[in-house]
Amino acid sequence: MTLWLLLLIPLVGAACIFVTKASIAKWIALGVSSFVLVVSILMAVQFDQWGTSQTGLVSHVAWLSQLGVTLDVGVDSVALLLVLLTTLLTPLCVWGSFTAITSRRKEYYAWLLILETAMLGVFSAQDLILFYVSFELTLVPMFFLIAIYGGKNRAHASVKFFIYTFTGSLFTLAGFVYVAWQYQVSQYGVWSFAIHDLAQFASTSLSYSEQCWILLAMLAGFAVKIPVFPVHTWLPLAHTEAPTAGSVILAGVLLKLGTFGVYRFVLPMVPEALVAYAPAIAVLAIIGILYAALICWVQDDIKKLVAYSSISHLGFCVLGLVALNPIALEGAVLYMINHGLSTGALFFLIGMMYERYHTRDMNSIGGLAKKMPVWSFFMVFFVLASVGLPGLNGFISEFMCLMGTFIATADASQWPGVLGPEYAAIAAIGMVLAAMYLLIMVGKVVFGKLKEPNQDGALSSLPTDLSPREIGILVPLAALCIWIGVQPTVLTDAMRGSVEEVLAPYPRLVQQEQEAPSTPIVLEKEDQHG
Amino acid sequence: MIEMISIFSSLLAMPAVPPAEVLSASDLSWAGFIVWMPLLSLVLCGLCAAFKVQSKAPAIITIVCLGTSFLLTLLLWNSYTQPETIHLFDWLQVHWDDGSFVANFALYVDSLTLLWMLFVTGLGTMIAVYASEYMEHDVGKGYARFFAGISVFLFAMTCLVMGDNLLMLYLGWEGVGFASYWLIGYFYQKPSAVAAAKKAFIVNRIGDVGLALAIYFIWSTFGTVQYDEITTVLRSESYDASFGGWTVHAIPYLLMLAAFGKSAQLPLYVWLPDAMEGPTPVSALIHAATMVTAGVYLIIRTYPLFMLDEYALPTVAWVGGLTAFLAATIGMAQYDIKRIMAYSTISQLGYMFLGLGVITSYGAAYHVFTHAFFKAVLFLTCGAIMHGFAGQLDLRRISGLRKMKGWKIVSYTMLIGCLCLAGFPFTSGYFSKDAILAEAFVTQGPGFKFLGWLAIFTAGLTAYYTFRVWFRVCAGPVHFEPGDELHGDDPKSFRPHAPRFAINFVLITISLGALLAALPYFVPNETETIQGGWVAEMVYDSPAYAGVPQVAHAAIDSHDVGHGTIEQTVGHGDILGMDPHKAMYYISAIVGFIGIAIALFFHLLNRGAADKLRSKLLSSRLTRWLPTAMENKWYVDEVYIALIRSPLWILGKFFSLFDKYIIDGAFVNGIAALPRAGARWFSPLHNGAVQSYAISMIGGAVLIALLMLYMPEIVSYLQSLSSQQTEVEQAMLLMGGMP
Repeated sequence: MTLWLLLLIPLVGAACIFVTKASIAKWIALGVSSFVLVVSILMAVQFDQWGTSQTGLVSHVAWLSQLGVTLDVGVDSVALLLVLLTTLLTPLCVWGSFTAITSRRKEYYAWLLILETAMLGVFSAQDLILFYVSFELTLVPMFFLIAIYGGKNRAHASVKFFIYTFTGSLFTLAGFVYVAWQYQVSQYGVWSFAIHDLAQFASTSLSYSEQCWILLAMLAGFAVKIPVFPVHTWLPLAHTEAPTAGSVILAGVLLKLGTFGVYRFVLPMVPEALVAYAPAIAVLAIIGILYAALICWVQDDIKKLVAYSSISHLGFCVLGLVALNPIALEGAVLYMINHGLSTGALFFLIGMMYERYHTRDMNSIGGLAKKMPVWSFFMVFFVLASVGLPGLNGFISEFMCLMGTFIATADASQWPGVLGPEYAAIAAIGMVLAAMYLLIMVGKVVFGKLKEPNQDGALSSLPTDLSPREIGILVPLAALCIWIGVQPTVLTDAMRGSVEEVLAPYPRLVQQEQEAPSTPIVLEKEDQHG
Repeated sequence: MIEMISIFSSLLAMPAVPPAEVLSASDLSWAGFIVWMPLLSLVLCGLCAAFKVQSKAPAIITIVCLGTSFLLTLLLWNSYTQPETIHLFDWLQVHWDDGSFVANFALYVDSLTLLWMLFVTGLGTMIAVYASEYMEHDVGKGYARFFAGISVFLFAMTCLVMGDNLLMLYLGWEGVGFASYWLIGYFYQKPSAVAAAKKAFIVNRIGDVGLALAIYFIWSTFGTVQYDEITTVLRSESYDASFGGWTVHAIPYLLMLAAFGKSAQLPLYVWLPDAMEGPTPVSALIHAATMVTAGVYLIIRTYPLFMLDEYALPTVAWVGGLTAFLAATIGMAQYDIKRIMAYSTISQLGYMFLGLGVITSYGAAYHVFTHAFFKAVLFLTCGAIMHGFAGQLDLRRISGLRKMKGWKIVSYTMLIGCLCLAGFPFTSGYFSKDAILAEAFVTQGPGFKFLGWLAIFTAGLTAYYTFRVWFRVCAGPVHFEPGDELHGDDPKSFRPHAPRFAINFVLITISLGALLAALPYFVPNETETIQGGWVAEMVYDSPAYAGVPQVAHAAIDSHDVGHGTIEQTVGHGDILGMDPHKAMYYISAIVGFIGIAIALFFHLLNRGAADKLRSKLLSSRLTRWLPTAMENKWYVDEVYIALIRSPLWILGKFFSLFDKYIIDGAFVNGIAALPRAGARWFSPLHNGAVQSYAISMIGGAVLIALLMLYMPEIVSYLQSLSSQQTEVEQAMLLMGGMP
């Protein structure tokens, strides 16, 4: 029941906020989200399934039993790590919004808490419908956060964000329903939406071409969310216009819903199809890495730069997801967490700068190290984490993803895959480009001659450099970056069982694929149903 | 201090330093403190920066910590008997059923490691002492930041050298790159310093990618990234020439990319001259003595892997030889003494790679060792001049330094450095350079003889440009102009401030070291079969050398025999019919004297002649290109910008527009516009008139009826298409398959 408790606390908090005064809304939100963080940490400490493939903290709640729809929740080790990421980032976002949000505060904090529930719902759902509902529910609070509290172009950005991702996930729903329908047919009319049942059914009983269609349907939703080239264009716009906390949540957690979806559904449900499509997905990921990195280089808007860098970075994560061996998949999961920490922190930092100077244009601002040494220190630190400096977190996951991609050759003895050295070598160019655009950004904004935009007496009440509150937001993130960089084995060991369980069928399928290659495009005749 | 150490060690859950009598060869866990002391210094300097300490405390902390590291290194060297792994903690481990990737935070101590560590920690400490005086203008401002940078560099460098696996090496590799970024960009308000720092990091990143890919290749081939395990595989019975397939041939070239990036070789050397924007102690420590030799270390450490491809070492030799020559020609034409030293460093590093390529890893290592001392001296004297003359570095604007009051030590230590660099007989540089030059004639390889002659010619150029500096700056009539960093002083009443105790002390110590570095050449080694004394022993004792695979053994073995007892065996080349090892003593001495003599004439006796020669060359259309190109560094930076940077930037700009107008504009918004267009198309239907609804209802019903009537025909038509196997039809059939 604790997991449901975790899901409900933020909702109760949101309800409380609506009935109290606006001035204390932020304190309620901070208290509630911190409480959720404490509960989730306690849960993680007591979690018995670390390192195994089992799902823990399961609670069964009946809902529409005729249709087999339940409200079952539970987490495996990977999902629990992402739950922890969510519960960590939410209070920090609330805390980070204390000075930035001055109007319509009640709604703002309520939406943030509702968003937390929705995100936790995605990670903990054991039922397809619950997953889908939570997945879509994340859009609503985010839509309002952008549309009400965003920048100048917020209306367009919020609508585009909503419609784009919503349209994509409709295809995903179609795929889900098809699987459930087929399951029902095979079970003589007994419905079930339990993820575990459906995954087992789909991976064993569906034909190759059906799997291909389901793969495409699921990717339509998840690829938009991640986002994978070429369906990424909603992201820079949404990031640029969103308020700071919105950007942090968007980069930190919402993008991970896509990669988590791939981990939770695509990998276990449609293995045969994935083996055939993995090279194509990897090519898109690599194009994304290089393409977005080059775009970063020419950006003037610092927030847009970091937004595009997310696209580039998540390309590595996608590579890790489709390399089909444990080192890559563990690297990909680690990547989700690391990207949430370092890019989340970068968005916080940009927000802190924006609150002081009201500009994101890198040509009108520069040399802040002189004026804001503490801010500059953190900026350089998180840029280095993002660049992948060994000893910090980003390096570990990038290294593992690329290494996994590299060894995913067909003749590998234990974990044959369908990628190989050439994929890793081309993707590795992204490492150089990442150093290039991030250091150019640092060179402009942090170093050089001090350059401040003209402010007509409208200086904010904030101190010149960071306040203790702002330092308090960044320190836990920085500490985690170092800890993961030095002790990554704690996390990789924790997720090993789940990862290997997901990957179990792949070596055999890859071998089959090698012996009798199947064409990725559906060309078989399907007669048994028609 | 002691409390600090114990607190620190308990934090790391490690045993504290045991008392000296407990120390034994088998328990070397205290050696971890060689790595931890710089880290401790980093943390303490960081605290000093955070609490804005207004004293020289950061310098003292750094000197004490690095000094401890150096003493521990000496202790380790003293108690060293055999290669040993010291496990500190588990870093990255990924296990699955019967495989694993293991890279622990562990140290591997063998003679090669010790050789490097001795001068890294020793020079690190001395240069920290020097910097305590050099940076005193910045006390309370950037002082703590500077020493934190030095500490982070030493930490990374010790990881790089002492790590027991390639991932540790990678940690150190990127770590020193980052420290270099930090310290080059120390004067962060100076745009040129920021640009130089950025350039250094990015160019190095290209090499780092090579290293990362090399690690992947090594791991997928050997199943491990630990040095000793790789060696075991190479020596195992199952090993033969066909081992690993094509992948083993890729490994040395990727490692080369990394080494050439870090050690500033062609084509990746462009960052090093710009790196002189950093404070001079940084240039001395990082960009001359230690970090830039990491590439040489990497290749020696992975030498057996270079034997796996027959063209790998010749490539190294050619790149090294050409870099040595090219950088020397650029160095000849510069006026900024610090830049001359930078190009000289590139050139000397080229010699080291030439040495590696012609299979004298000991010659390369020995040159690293001697170069570390004499180049540090040269940079530190440049720094003292820069410090005393308000940033003046132009050799045309300072003259007669040795006659000025208080500048004697600087002048004569600089002379020692110059003599070593020029390869003056019986200095350390003379012996180490000869070892490499001679070997170029001994070892037979593609064009090695040509490289040998080129290197001899370059040695002459080196002697020339080195003494060009000394004769211009230290000798001649007294004359000086202050630089532009006057700190408010009036340029007319400017008086140079001579260095005080700390700088002079360090200059004397390190120049003594540079002179004494000749001695190891004469220390007899135990085996007595190989030439080169103590350094050769340090290198050949290491498994890095012994791990040469069987395929290459034959060649190497006969080669070594050729050095020792039996003269003129097969494969032992000659120079003009003489034994290169003996002849080279005379040849290089003569070439050196010629170089010094030319410098003496043009830059002391007849300074006007040099300018005349230059203007003569410039006035003739035929020869104009030569001084122009040399002064403009052969336009290599411009070529990079034109061929790589600009095209990529334009591509980025193009992608940015493509993203905005094609993907988002045409593709996404186009699709988004479809529903609206569709709605406009159908909107006349919803005109509110009942009769039109009725008509459309009837029309629809008729359409459905027609469809139902002709369904068999439609289906058979579709089936007739099926022989053509079109995608559309298959998709429709599949849809038909869905209930």
